[in-house]
Amino acid sequence: MSIHKLRRWGIVLGSLGVLGVLVLHALVFFWVPTEASQGIIQRIFYIHVPAAIVAFLAFGVVAIAGALYLWLGDEQLDQAALCAAEGGMVFTTVVLLTGPLWGKIAWGTYWTWEPRLTLTLLLWFIYLGYFLVRASTENPERGKRFSAVVGIVGALDIPLIHVSVLWFRSLHPGPVVFKTSGPSLAAPMSVTLGVGFLSMLLVFLGVFAFRYALETAKRAAEMRARANA
Amino acid sequence: MSYVRQVYAIIWKDLLLELRTRERIAAMGAFAVLAGVLFNYATDQTIVRPQDVAAGLIWMTLVFGGLLGIGRTFHLEAQDGAFQGVLTSPAPKDAIFLGKTLANFVLLFVVSLLVVAVFMLFFRLELGSNPGMLVLTLALGALGFVALGTLFSAVSSGTHMGETLLPILVFPLLVPMVIYGVSATSRLFADRPVAEVAGNLRMLGAFAVLGVAAGAVLFRYVVEE
Repeated sequence: MSIHKLRRWGIVLGSLGVLGVLVLHALVFFWVPTEASQGIIQRIFYIHVPAAIVAFLAFGVVAIAGALYLWLGDEQLDQAALCAAEGGMVFTTVVLLTGPLWGKIAWGTYWTWEPRLTLTLLLWFIYLGYFLVRASTENPERGKRFSAVVGIVGALDIPLIHVSVLWFRSLHPGPVVFKTSGPSLAAPMSVTLGVGFLSMLLVFLGVFAFRYALETAKRAAEMRARANA
Repeated sequence: MSYVRQVYAIIWKDLLLELRTRERIAAMGAFAVLAGVLFNYATDQTIVRPQDVAAGLIWMTLVFGGLLGIGRTFHLEAQDGAFQGVLTSPAPKDAIFLGKTLANFVLLFVVSLLVVAVFMLFFRLELGSNPGMLVLTLALGALGFVALGTLFSAVSSGTHMGETLLPILVFPLLVPMVIYGVSATSRLFADRPVAEVAGNLRMLGAFAVLGVAAGAVLFRYVVEE
């Protein structure tokens, strides 16, 4: 796909996503019923959970694109991994900001060693390492390979981290949406959650496409500069 | 040369080098003893019993001290292009990784025994009735740690941040090792039945297998030019 086409996709998807996020906020504030046990604070759930799903999804892309890059050596795969990592870090930050806000009301404390919160914090730092190895290598090819290794090992370790922090202590409610007996959310809640997930995914895809186009242009410019030198 | 002999040759080379220079083992050993001295002043032993905090402190000493030595795995060979020689040898890259990891394992395992000895001496720590299981716990934890440590030591020594990058890369990944290692160790110190630590040891084993396998596969991409 050409840069221009990609950029157009980025604008379309991103705008739809932003629109969706606005609709989501309208739904969260004015439409969805208040949850019985937690009250008004539970409404942050519709921002928090979709962001978390997108953050982990993005990390999956980082790891898979990184592994394929190491295997096939295709520049575009590395580019995809990098762009997914940047988007993923933004959403991980959203989760880390909304989680403690919710926790302060629901659990009475900003921070608790709750497994999923801990896992997200560690994910954030794995992303940080991903960018640091890239930034601190003089040879860009090497930086690409290094960061792919960080992404892959991180993704392999995440299930183990998850199991261990879960084993250590759990405060989170059990699954409410994805379980075999069907979701136990009221229909308007499921709809709001769905809108949240869809719009955040669109934002992610839009940013991803836009960033990918930018990275393509940047690498092409670097190539030209090197050829002229 | 068969694969095992190649791995063995790397282990032997690294250990011989360490035996001659004694740089890393001295740094890690001194760290372990001095950390013990500082812990003495950092904890009030009239309030907490050594048995209650020793497990956590032992593992933290291992993580910090271990990183000190493991982070310099490629330091000596980076000079005069010696590591290029290792890489151009007929040994496959995963054999080099396994050799280096196992050599590091020997070092860290010795250090972990020293750490426990320091805690016994300084804090009158009692090991409980099952020292064999304690040694197994330390060994499994150390193996997982050195596998990730060796891989990311290769990564960080290829960056201009060097060893300062290593904790940022490795600490998030070490959470399972610390959780299960500390849990198993503190139960053993408290003389709990062996069945209570079996699950922890299995998870430490899984962590070690994951680290060694991932490192063996990915190492070539870190060192290739």
